[in-house]
Amino acid sequence: MASSTTSNVYVQVIEDVISKVRDEFLNNGGPGESVLSELQGMWEMKMMQAGAILGPIDRSLAPKPTPGGVITPVHDLNVPYEGTEEYETPTADLLFPPTPLQTPMQTPLPGTAQTPLPGTTQTPLPGTADSSLYNIPTGGTPITPNDYPALNDAGGVTEMKAGRPSPYMQPPQPWMSQRPPLDVNVAYVEGREEVDKGASHRPMTQDFFTMSSGKRKRDDFASQYHAGGYIPQQDGAGDATSEEVKVGHGSSTQGGLVTAASRGMLLQGVRMSKRIPQLDGPMPDPYDDVLSTPNIYNYQGVVNEDYNIVNTPAPNDIQAATPAAVIQNDVGEDDEDEPLNENDDDDLDEVDQGEEHNPNHLVLAQFDKVTRTKSRWKCTLKDGIMHINNKDILFNKATGEFDF
Amino acid sequence: MATFELYRRSTIGMCLTETLDEMVSNGVLSPEHAIQVLVQFDKSMTEALETQVKSKVSIKGHLHTYRFCDNVWTFILQDALFKNEESQENVGRVKIVACDSKLLTQ
Repeated sequence: MASSTTSNVYVQVIEDVISKVRDEFLNNGGPGESVLSELQGMWEMKMMQAGAILGPIDRSLAPKPTPGGVITPVHDLNVPYEGTEEYETPTADLLFPPTPLQTPMQTPLPGTAQTPLPGTTQTPLPGTADSSLYNIPTGGTPITPNDYPALNDAGGVTEMKAGRPSPYMQPPQPWMSQRPPLDVNVAYVEGREEVDKGASHRPMTQDFFTMSSGKRKRDDFASQYHAGGYIPQQDGAGDATSEEVKVGHGSSTQGGLVTAASRGMLLQGVRMSKRIPQLDGPMPDPYDDVLSTPNIYNYQGVVNEDYNIVNTPAPNDIQAATPAAVIQNDVGEDDEDEPLNENDDDDLDEVDQGEEHNPNHLVLAQFDKVTRTKSRWKCTLKDGIMHINNKDILFNKATGEFDF
Repeated sequence: MATFELYRRSTIGMCLTETLDEMVSNGVLSPEHAIQVLVQFDKSMTEALETQVKSKVSIKGHLHTYRFCDNVWTFILQDALFKNEESQENVGRVKIVACDSKLLTQ
């Protein structure tokens, strides 16, 4: 049963919808006026069956419904439709289950089909089970929950990127292998001679530039640190080789033949690349970071931007760890996607189905504000439809005070 | 104009949905037109609630469950009392689903 005001609003909504879709139905090869009338007739009939509209409705010209009292279902069904042929067909369709001619829309969306809806239990008509298919989210509807999955996806993508620095893995080996083997000792000797001579740094820096031009990631380094030599190369290097590196630095920064020095360092890099896998101790740390903290992004950023010859093996460590990290991520996603959600849905469905057997009480509204102080909740709602104790009540504003 | 599909779960929305469903199943109506009708219903219902409804309601009860997901508040109340100007209703268990009103004004 509905109050007369609710019934009036419902009737006007029906009129409004029908009048505003009329153009679509009549033009461009639409289904036409008769189908529109059939739609309106069936809709109103169902509303009266549900007790949401107090019939009969004089819908010939005046949209105003004739306020009536409680009418028996038979009266409801027949009076407003008397003498109009268009209502005969839908009635027949209701009595005899329709043969589904179009199947594409038949599949209920998961999760929506089991939500108890007002009217579902009251009017168990053919097609009720499929009603959920109209809940397909339309573009621009704010309540569609697409935002969160999008965020999750983005996070997953970045995580994946962070987990595989492989693009920076491969280059070192090619240029390492291309380098002709050089005598490291020569480089050191020359460097020390240059120390004695006190030669200027600039030419050697530029030599270094030319040397490094063909190598990946060295350009950045050189542009940033040309005045100070190779200092950043020590970052992240294995402990065992750091001293050798420093020797190289000492010679080069103090005026050694930089080309030779840097070649020496390249060789050290080659050596380190062989050693590093044995120095696996630090590996779990970045690995853990990959899995647990966003710091991995910074860490990777350092790897990508500043790491140099001496450090090139470091990405190898991460690369070695990458497969494991990916597996971990997959496991996490599986947990999120399948078992967890399924369980949740089942629980909710049980609750909802339990509600469905009872009289279905539901309030649909918009919220302006929801606040909580300790266990006391207050909310202000507006523009709501309540279905309570088999009555439909509309409200413009509602205030709620709940204790949790 | 942004709209909520929220009201499709109301009595009037369900009646419309069932009607459209039958007509699509019978081949009388194309799914595209059915969707158009539903979208128009979203607009008309929202507009009618804004312009034609003036009543106020107060709700009190024990909050059994609260949930805020995707900008939608869901409350499940127990032993709730609904009051408006005309009457009051007691309900053992009621679910309140509320979308963010600010989303419509954007």
